Formats: sequence, C-alpha cells, structure tokens
Amino acid sequence: MNYTIKVWAGIALCLLMGKNAAAQSDSIGILISQVLDPPHDSARSMALHKLVALRDASSFPFLGAVNDKKIYVREGKPVTTGEETGEDSGIFPLYNLYPENTPVTDASGKPVAAEAGSLQKVDISRTDRLSLGPVLAYLNLANPDPKKRIIAYGQLLTTSDSSKMNILAEALQLEKDKDALTAGKEILFQMKLNASLSETEAQAYIDSLDSNWGENVTNILQDYAASAKLPAAKAYAAGKVTALETLQSRIEKAQNLFSGISLGSILILIALGLAIVYGLAGIINMAHGEFMMIGAYATFCMQSLFIDTLGINSDMFFFVSLPVSFLIAGVFGLILEKLVIRHLYSRPLESLLATWGVSLILVQLARSIFGDLTAVKAPSFLAGGWQVMPHLILPFNRLFIIGLTIVVVSLTYLMLYRSRLGIRIRAVTQNRSMSSCLGVETRKVDAITFFLGSGLAGLAGCAMTLIGNVVPDMGQTYIVDSFLVVVTGGVGKIAGAIVSGLGIGFLTKVLESFYEAVYGKVLILALIIIFLQFKPRGLFPDKGRIAED
Amino acid sequence: MEKTKDYRLYLAFVVFFLILLPVGNLLGFVSTNTISLWGRYFCFAIVALGVDLIWGYTGILSMCQAFFFCLGGYAVAMHIVSAGAAASGGSGVPDFMTWNQVDTLPFFWVPFQSFGLAILLGLLIPAAFAFVFGYFIFRSRIKGVYMAIITQALALAMWLLFLRNETMLGGTNGLTDFKNLLGLSLSSGNVKLGMYVLSLLVLCGAYFLSKKLVGSKFGKVLQAIRDSESRTSYTAYRVLDYKLAIFMISALLAALAGMLYAPQTGIITPGRMDVKASVEMVMWVALGGRGKLKGAILGALTVNFLYSICTSLFPDSWLFILGFLFVITVLYFDKGFLGALEMLGAKFRKNKPAARPVAETETLQS
Repeated sequence: MNYTIKVWAGIALCLLMGKNAAAQSDSIGILISQVLDPPHDSARSMALHKLVALRDASSFPFLGAVNDKKIYVREGKPVTTGEETGEDSGIFPLYNLYPENTPVTDASGKPVAAEAGSLQKVDISRTDRLSLGPVLAYLNLANPDPKKRIIAYGQLLTTSDSSKMNILAEALQLEKDKDALTAGKEILFQMKLNASLSETEAQAYIDSLDSNWGENVTNILQDYAASAKLPAAKAYAAGKVTALETLQSRIEKAQNLFSGISLGSILILIALGLAIVYGLAGIINMAHGEFMMIGAYATFCMQSLFIDTLGINSDMFFFVSLPVSFLIAGVFGLILEKLVIRHLYSRPLESLLATWGVSLILVQLARSIFGDLTAVKAPSFLAGGWQVMPHLILPFNRLFIIGLTIVVVSLTYLMLYRSRLGIRIRAVTQNRSMSSCLGVETRKVDAITFFLGSGLAGLAGCAMTLIGNVVPDMGQTYIVDSFLVVVTGGVGKIAGAIVSGLGIGFLTKVLESFYEAVYGKVLILALIIIFLQFKPRGLFPDKGRIAED
Repeated sequence: MEKTKDYRLYLAFVVFFLILLPVGNLLGFVSTNTISLWGRYFCFAIVALGVDLIWGYTGILSMCQAFFFCLGGYAVAMHIVSAGAAASGGSGVPDFMTWNQVDTLPFFWVPFQSFGLAILLGLLIPAAFAFVFGYFIFRSRIKGVYMAIITQALALAMWLLFLRNETMLGGTNGLTDFKNLLGLSLSSGNVKLGMYVLSLLVLCGAYFLSKKLVGSKFGKVLQAIRDSESRTSYTAYRVLDYKLAIFMISALLAALAGMLYAPQTGIITPGRMDVKASVEMVMWVALGGRGKLKGAILGALTVNFLYSICTSLFPDSWLFILGFLFVITVLYFDKGFLGALEMLGAKFRKNKPAARPVAETETLQS
C-alpha cells in the first residue's frame, strides 16, 4: 500500500502548480461546440486558437481527432473512430472526446460501432489544422492507443517547454491504462527529480521512482547517481540502484525457475508414456514423438472443424481437443501396436529401429497432408499472464501446461496404483510369464498400455500447440530429451520420470541462463553421463537379483 | 566349396568396380558423375563395416557413428580450406571466418594447414573421443538401449555444437568451396576417378582387415560379449577393454570414410551428423544383413543406390520407402538382404543338403 500513497503524493505535488485546470473546463466545452458548429466563419479558427492557447489536457483528445481528420458529430457530441474491427469490415468503434475520453455506449452500456459513411463528419480546413502546431507534441498524449501515449510521454523529455510538467501531470490524471500510467509517471518523476533543488525533495522523487518501478528506473537512477549535484541524493540514488539490481536478479531467477518447471512438465508429459511402455514391454518407441505430433495436428483439425466448418468461433475447441487428441493418438498407437510392435516385445534394439522407420513414415505423411507449418490459435483465455509482481509475469499458457501435467500425472498414478488395470500392468512389468500363468492376459494389457502411453503423448502434443507452431517434425525435437528423462529416471517408474523430468528441465533452463542453450545441452549430457557412473540404473532402480540380466 | 564361392564373388566385385567402371569412364561410357557417386557409396560402406563390427558382432548399438564420420570429414575439409586460403594469399583466414569478423586463424585450425597432421588428427581425435566417452559409458555398464540413447544424445549435442558459428567450423553451411588437395584440382575428372579408386581400395582393405579381426580370437571374444556379456566376464575376460577397443576401431573406420567422403562431395555440413544420419547408418547394416561383413557393404551400397534413384524419380516418397524398408526388414527379414538372398539360393539348390552350419547364432538380443 505504501508505494501507491507515495506515487499519488508525487502526482499531487505536481498538480499544485497547475491548479487552475478545473476552472477552465467549462469554457473548453463552449469552445469545442464552437469548433463543431461555428456561428460565423472566423469563429472556428478563433475557438481553435483559444483551445491551443489554453493547452488543457482534457481538450487534447478532441484536438488530436481534429488533427487526424477523424472528427464526427453524434447526438450533438463530438466523437472519433478507433481501430477498424476486423479486416476491411468498414466498421469502427466510436469514442467520446469531451468531457471524457471513453468508448461510446448505448442505453444498455454496450460499446457502439458504426460504419464510417453513416456518421456526420465535420470538415476542418487545412489552415485551421495547421494552427494546432504549438500543441502537436502533446496531442499524442491523448491518443487512444496506449503504446502511442507511452511514446508521447517519452517525447516530452526532449521538448524544451516549461509547462510540460503540468501538461504531463494533467494527462496522467486521465490515463487509464496501467502500463502507460507507469511509464508516464516515470517520465514525470524523472523530470521532477532533475529539476529538484533540495535534498529532501530529490529523495522523495527517488522514492517515487523506485516505488513506481517502471521500465527504465535503473538507468534513470544510475544517470542521476552519476551526474547529480546533490551529494546525499546522489548516494541515495546509488543505494537504490544496487537494491533494484539485486531485486531484478532475483526476479530473473524466479523466471528461470518457472520456465524450468514448465519445460520439465512438458518433458514429464512426454516421458510418462514412454517410461510406462518401456518398463512394461521393453519397447523403445522412437515414434513416440510422432504421437505427440499427431495430438498437435488433432488439435489443429479440431480448430479448423470448429471455426471454419461449424462456424463456432469460441475457445471451446481447445477443451474438446484435449480428449480428442488423447483418443486419436491412442488409436494410432493401438494400430501401430497391432501391426508392428507386438512382434518385437522385449527386443528393445529391434523395436528402436522399426519404430524409427514408423516415425519416418508418419512425419512424411504429416508433411504431405498438412504442409510444413501450421499454427493453432491459442484460446483467448490463456493469453496474457498472471502478474505476481511488477516485472514478474507468469504466462497463463505455461501455467496451464503445468496444471495439466499435475492432473495427468495424478490420474496416471491413480490408474497404476489404485485400479484393477494398474495392478495388472504392474504385475506384467514385474514378471511377464508369472502374471501370464496367473491368468493375466498379457497381450491385452500390452495393447491397453500402449494405447494409454500414446494417448499421453497426444495430450502432450495438444498442450504443445499452446507454446509453439505445429510442424511435422516437432516430435523429434523432444524425443531424445525425453529418452534421457527415462534413462535418468529408471525404467518404468513414474516417480523417476517426474523427478528426472523436472530435474532435466530445470537444469537446462538454469544452465541456459549461464551459457548459451547449446552449451547448456552439452553440459546436461555430461552431467547425465557422470550421474550414470554412480547410478547406472537411474534414480529409482529395480531392487533385487532379478534386476540383473 | 564355400571359399571358392566367396572368391568368385570377390572377383566379380573387383572386376566390375575396379576394372569395368574406371575403364568405362576413361573410354567415355560411364559419366564422371556416376563414378563420383559410387566413390561416395564406398565411403558409406566403410562406415557400415564399422557399424557391423560394433553392432553386428559385439551387440553394442552406437548411434553416433555419423559424428565420427564427420570428425574425419571435417579434418580433411579444414585442411583443404585452410591450405586453399593460405595459397590464395592474404591473411590465410578462410572466407567464412572473415565474414564473421574473425581475422586471425583460431589456434585449433593451425595444425590442419599441414596435410600429414590433418590426417593424423582426423584419426586421433575420433579415437580419443571414442576412448574417453566409451570409457565412462562402458565403465558404468551402460549397455543395450541405454547405450543407444546416450550415444544418440551425444550425436544430438555435437550436432548442435557444430551448428553454431562460434565453434569456427562454418556453422550451418559447413565447410565448402574445396579447390585443391595436395596440389590436385578436386574438380578434374581424373582426380575424381583417383578418389574413387582410393575409396574402393580402402574399402577392400578395411573389409579384409575386419574379416581377419572377426576370425581372430579377439573377434570371437567380441561375439561372446554379444551373446552373453556376463558369462564372458565370468570367464575372466575384461569386457570393458574389448568394448572400448571395438568402439575405437569402428570410430576410426567412420573417420577414415569421412576423410575420403568430404573431398568427393566438395562440402561437409553438420547435416551429415544429425541424429537421423547415424540411425540411417545403422539401418544400412540392418537392411544389408547384420553380423555379416558382406551384408554391411551390400546394405550401404543398395540403400544409397536406391536413394539416388528414388529421389530423382519420386522425390516425395523416399522417406515412405525407407520407413517401410526399416519396418519390413526388422519384422520379417532379420538377416537383411543377404539373408534373403541366401534363402533364395538355398531354395534353388534344394537337392544339395545344407552343409553350412549356422555360424552366427540367432541370439542377437541384448
């Protein structure tokens, strides 16, 4: 709470110098109506000149619209148009200009949009528009686009107008966008700081800058600490810079931790199916990555089906895609199992080569059907991120993947350890012939497990569409990594896959932050080889004599 | 009887490739392009021999042979490029480095300016790499699938490393623009024919040495390791030493092949050493007939010949064909082309009793 108070204290300080702003607002309304509907010929020019001379922030949206030749009258009030909705639709949303710069709403509070031709346009002559010259630098302060406003705030630093602080302060009062407000305040405080003459004043602005925490705060304070004339404030700024830098490096670490966890969870999703299948049947499935690719394309097809064929333009398709990609990848896995894999049980090297052939076929198939590059539009509710604190944003899509992984891992755990099927799978994994003797239909268990494993890969593929393009060889990017996860984790162990998946994902990101990505990868490999010197059978090896072959 | 048949086969091979094709080329019946193409196939066949020694005879699936192949190839390429740059005057820095604002030759390029050192290093580096990597892997008793995955990860990591520009090896574009090797212009037809004959001779030499190796006591121990590693170690053989030796030998064969390959293609890129390339090398052997040296050569030659034909006739379907070949061979023709041919031959000579005992046992599992 403390820092918001400081920020507003700063604003209030600035406003003391521009206190006459409120008194003028009525005359602005009159002047604007004169511009819109001039009583005589020269009245419009005079009114414009007066508006320019007043230089009041509340008139800037109106003047900006005049300058852009986008001024219309609707129900006696001046309005302007925003960005076109959709391409070439010819329909524009409307914005009120005075007294408030807000979207035009109808009686029920919905925003209004209209065709440009249906509005009553006010034509303003070129000479009149040229008379806006002195305030042009400020007009963008009221631009409807927050990014343009941020640029306009920045430009104020370079103009040499003594009244710019007041104008900026007024413009900030009307600012609604959070990022633009932060950026604008940063500029304001910077100007105030550079102009301040007493130590206490300077320190107050340094505090305000610090708590405002904009994009460039470190640079501003560094410059100040290097060039200021007030010794105490100088030292104070230098101290703040160090504190900010420590904070920033902590945030960077947190960001790395987060991306490590999210990479790890993708690896877990892929490696889970791989680990179960390998543990159960001794199959190295090189085509596992391709099931992931199939899941991704299933998601893409669902998107086309929903949006292009059925015309349902909603995010529903993604929720439908989750089970669909699981099923489709699972069915492909089942077909592969029936045709190829079942001849190769417990011949891991042969299975590795045969499934490599299968993966070649599947990649080429995808390439000839879908072409080289397709993208799934991420659902809108997953756009953006969760802002934990300023400058630390966790993207929703990554959070979703982490959540999905937790759910899937828990379900797999329940399936393996709390269900009849699970106990059969574990029995066959432990001793195939003994379970067969006891009446477990091993072939059926194999098929079901393969279906589940491939389905999990499909689910991973569906999740992958959130963070990358869908390309035919997307599976091959992850397959070697996920095999490393299986090797480090120990064969057929869920816990192993989770721990080593998280570990490898995390280490990769940490090493990447120290070195380049490639050297990170080489280091990971070296670490894994060293690790295997001590634990040749992975993190969670089978115990007992049966483990030795 | 078996011996005479073998000799007849060798004779046919030598007559066709060492006499008919070169003479045809000199007389103008066979294009230089074909000669150079077959020259490259022979290089692949040399790699395949190495793969067969380590996989077919010792049962270790190494998926980084393409990396060793490229180490050899890069060594020769670095010699050609740096010697070319030195000959053309200037600072002696290859063009691609000047484009990357490097104006002094990196230290590890310096020895490659001499041909002898380049050849020596091209063999020493892969051998040393195989020794260190193999020592740690075999020491911790990583075998079977684990070995395959670890070597594959090695291939992936090295591929990524070679793709970088900072490693000063040309990045994605690799090394190219070869002009002269030992003063001979690489673009002339006679030099190409010479490289072809050299590759063929090296292949023959490698084949006979490998055959000797396989027949020796050393080779028998290798097959014992393949069939049961633990029993071999119980009989007081140091399995680690044998595995390490064969890993180094196969790395050397791959590097040798790479050395012959690079001047013939005129380019070497990291694309030659990606994960796919190594698996393909293993597939040549699997398709030709694993555990038989002749099968390895047959597989490498036929698959690459097929590749050349298919990519020009139906470019899109090569991966389909290769994929199906992989699957069908692994599923139904365990002994590859050679096995299938022998089966056919046995059918033709049904009246004769099958006198030959099965030399290679069927227990190739790990």
